[in-house]
Amino acid sequence: MKIKAKLKGDEVRVKVLVKHPMLTYDQAKKKGTDANFITHISSRVGDRVVFDASTSQFLSKNPLFKYRFKANGVKKGDEITVSWTDLSGKTVTEKKAIK
Amino acid sequence: MNRRNFIGFGVLAMATLPATLSAFSSIDFRATKPDAWKAKTVADAIKGLYGDIKPEASDKVKVKAPKVAANGGAVPVSVKTDIPAKTVAVFQDMNPESAVAVFNIPDGAIVDYGFKIKLKATDENGGNGTVTAIVEGKDGKFYKGTVSLNVAKGGCEG
Repeated sequence: MKIKAKLKGDEVRVKVLVKHPMLTYDQAKKKGTDANFITHISSRVGDRVVFDASTSQFLSKNPLFKYRFKANGVKKGDEITVSWTDLSGKTVTEKKAIK
Repeated sequence: MNRRNFIGFGVLAMATLPATLSAFSSIDFRATKPDAWKAKTVADAIKGLYGDIKPEASDKVKVKAPKVAANGGAVPVSVKTDIPAKTVAVFQDMNPESAVAVFNIPDGAIVDYGFKIKLKATDENGGNGTVTAIVEGKDGKFYKGTVSLNVAKGGCEG
């Protein structure tokens, strides 16, 4: 995952790029494989959840997610953790320091 | 235990309340509302997710997408609103199923999401397609924003 998180004023702006084939059911059928795409992605700083999305087969390959949240005490150097799960049940979690 | 001890115990428990008991928790809407994700039409997907609601069209729900998307495999969409929201759901009427994503809105989050989606070419659907966002307000009401677009080259077939 590529995670970019920046504190700007009283907001944190985040961009997450996940490397994932995001194969729809139709695409998988054509390839003769199983569909596989991210089904849930969330993000937190410490115990505070800042992003939480349930997703479908229709997000693009190597999906990009942009979001922002009120800092409310979050500082530069705090770590943001991003976790995603896909249809196959695989979960990947990564952290990055907020700049 | 006698009453004095009981009250003291209650106060102590509140002070050490673990963060996991706070009001917001992560939700997997694919697990809690499976019908929403299989629905073919926007109306059925909305019903599967929220029940029989009557969203009011609102210019406070801003949905953006390019008027003509050259690459159906990666159409940039953004959804933004100032309405205090519990959840925001995105649908489209161009693909085999309608639901795209459901965002669960934590405290302190700003509803300004950007992401890229796959859409089938609109000439396969006879013209314009529409992306719809439903905002479930904290006030218990539902608001709707839409954007229409054309997709030149479909992105679902891969």
